[in-house]
Amino acid sequence: MGRLIEEIYVWRLPVRFYHWINALCTVALFVTGIYIAAPVLNPPLGEAVWYKGLAWWRYLHFISAFIFIGNFLFRLYWALFGGDRYARFGGFRPWSPAWWGKPFREQVESYLFIRSEEPNYVGHNPVAALAHFIFIFCGSSFMIFSGLAMYGENNPGGFSEAWFGWLIPLFGGSYTLHFAHHLMAWIFPIYVIMHLYAVFRHDVVDRTSVTSSIITGFKHKVEEEPG
Amino acid sequence: MQSNQTFADLFRARGVSRRDFLKFCSLTSVYLGLSPSMVPSIVQAMENKPRTPVIWIHGLECTCCSESFIRSSHPTIEDILFNMISLDYDDVLSAAAGHQLEDVRHKIMKEYKGKYILAVEGNASTKDDGVYCMVGGDSFLNTLKETAADAAAIIAWGTCASFGCVQNADPNPTGAAPVSDIIKNKPIVKVPGCPAISEVMTGVITHFHTFGTLPELDRLGRPKAFYKTRIHDKCYRRAFFDAGMFVRSFDDDATRKGWCLYKMGCKGPTTYNACSKIQWNAGTSFPIGSGHPCIGCSEPNFWDRGPFYSRLAEVPFLGSDSNADKIGVIAVGAAAAGAAAHAAATAVKKAKSEKLDNDKA
Repeated sequence: MGRLIEEIYVWRLPVRFYHWINALCTVALFVTGIYIAAPVLNPPLGEAVWYKGLAWWRYLHFISAFIFIGNFLFRLYWALFGGDRYARFGGFRPWSPAWWGKPFREQVESYLFIRSEEPNYVGHNPVAALAHFIFIFCGSSFMIFSGLAMYGENNPGGFSEAWFGWLIPLFGGSYTLHFAHHLMAWIFPIYVIMHLYAVFRHDVVDRTSVTSSIITGFKHKVEEEPG
Repeated sequence: MQSNQTFADLFRARGVSRRDFLKFCSLTSVYLGLSPSMVPSIVQAMENKPRTPVIWIHGLECTCCSESFIRSSHPTIEDILFNMISLDYDDVLSAAAGHQLEDVRHKIMKEYKGKYILAVEGNASTKDDGVYCMVGGDSFLNTLKETAADAAAIIAWGTCASFGCVQNADPNPTGAAPVSDIIKNKPIVKVPGCPAISEVMTGVITHFHTFGTLPELDRLGRPKAFYKTRIHDKCYRRAFFDAGMFVRSFDDDATRKGWCLYKMGCKGPTTYNACSKIQWNAGTSFPIGSGHPCIGCSEPNFWDRGPFYSRLAEVPFLGSDSNADKIGVIAVGAAAAGAAAHAAATAVKKAKSEKLDNDKA
C-alpha cells in the first residue's frame, strides 16, 4: 500500500452538516411522500376522531420539506458568499464551451474506460458537478417549487398560494402538478444509487478516503506504490 | 314582454310577496358568500336595475349544464326561467325555433349591444372550419365569434366551455377548443363542472346583475366564491382521510362505514369546486356522499388524467400504460444495474492493470 503523504481539509463543517441534513431530509421526504400517495398501513381500530394516521405522515413530509428548503437556501448562500473554495459554484460554467473541454472529456472517458488513468480532483470533478447541478440543484428546485405550490392549496390566499400558486395553471391543474411532483421524486433514489456507487468506487480506485471525508472533512493523498 | 323590467317588478307581477323576495335576496347573498350587510345591495339591485339579457348558446356539449341549471333549488327553475334572468335566447329551452329564434338573437345583439351576457354551454370545433358542430345553418365557431363580439361578458358554463372536457380529450378529433381559446378580448367567467352546480350557475348571474361586475376570479378564471377551495377541504369524510381510514374496495366494511375514498382514486384533493359545500339537487347529496370517488370533473383535462379509480395517473411509457411509480422503479433498477455493471468493469480493468504490473515486474 502507498504511504499517506497529505491530509487536505476539503469539506468544512457547514458543508458536512448540509450534506447530512440534506440526506436525511431526502430520505424522509421520499418515504413519507410515497406513503402519502399510497397509504398502505392498516387503519386504526375505533373511531376516526382519535387518530391522525395520514395527517402525521403529511405533517412529517411538510416539516422535512421546510428543513430541506432552509438547508438548500443555506447551501446556496454558502456557495455564493461562504468563501469556501471546494463548495463554491465558481468553477461550474456549463454555458461556456471551455468548461466542456479537456477536463470534462477526460473525466467522461475515464468513467467509460476509454482512458486508463483516472483524473484526480480534490473537490468535485466536472462530471460530478454536472450531476449535482442536474439532480440536486434543478431537481430540488423543482420539488421545492411544486411542493410549495401544492402546500399553498391548503391555505388559499396564504403566502405559499400567493407566491407559488401560479405553478398550478402552468402545469394544467393541481392533479398534473401532483403527478409531476411524484414522478420527479424518483430522481432522488436514482441519484442516491449513482452517488453512493461513485463515492465507493472513487475510494477504492483513488484511495482518497472520500467516503469518510464527508464525516471527518479530510481527504488523503497517498503515495503511489513504487513500480 | 315589457322591456326594462326589474326583478322586483316581475316578482310582484307573479304574485311573489315582498317577504319571499327578501328571502330570495338573502339566500342569494349566502350562496355568493357575501356578508349579511350586502343583502340591501342585492335588494336594491333587484328592485332598480333592469334585468340583464342573457343569450345562451349551445355548442359541442351534452346539455348536462342545462339539466343542472333547471334543477336549481334556491331559487327554483320557474323563478329562474320566467322571472330572474331575461333568458332571451336559448336554442334548447326556447319554444320558438328556426329563423324566428335566430332573429331574436340578432335583435338582442343589436338592442343590448355591449350589455348582454353571453352564456356558452359546450365548446366549438375548430378543425375544418368548425364543420363538426353546425347550429342554425352555421358553424358554432362562427356563431360564437359573432355573438361574443358585442357581449358585455361571457360565462363559460361547465367544463366543456371552460376547459374542453371530453370533446378535446386526447386525440381530440374535431379540434374542440374551450371558449377562452377562441375569444380573447372579452372577460370570461369559467364555471367548470360536468355539469356545473346549479346554485353556482345562478349565483354567478346574480353577482353580475347585482354589482355590474364579474365576480372575483382565481388564476384559472373561476369565481373564487365557489372555486377557491378543493372538494377535499370541506369534505365530510376528511376526518377519515386524516385518520388514515380508507375504503380499499367497493365491497368492504369501510365502504359501509363511509370512510375516505382516497385510495379508490378520489380526485377530491386536487379538484376545485363547491360540491362538498353546496351539494346537488337541493343539497341532497354529492358523488362522495353517495359513496363514489370524485372524478375531478371540474378540473382541466380530467378525461386524460385517468383512470378514475386509481390515485396515480397512467402515462404511456415504453409502449404500455404505466404510472409514475412503475417508471420510477424501472429507472432506479436501471441505475442499480448500471452501477453494478460499471463496478464489474472497474474490477476487470483493475485486475488487468495489476496483471500488467506483475508482468512488468
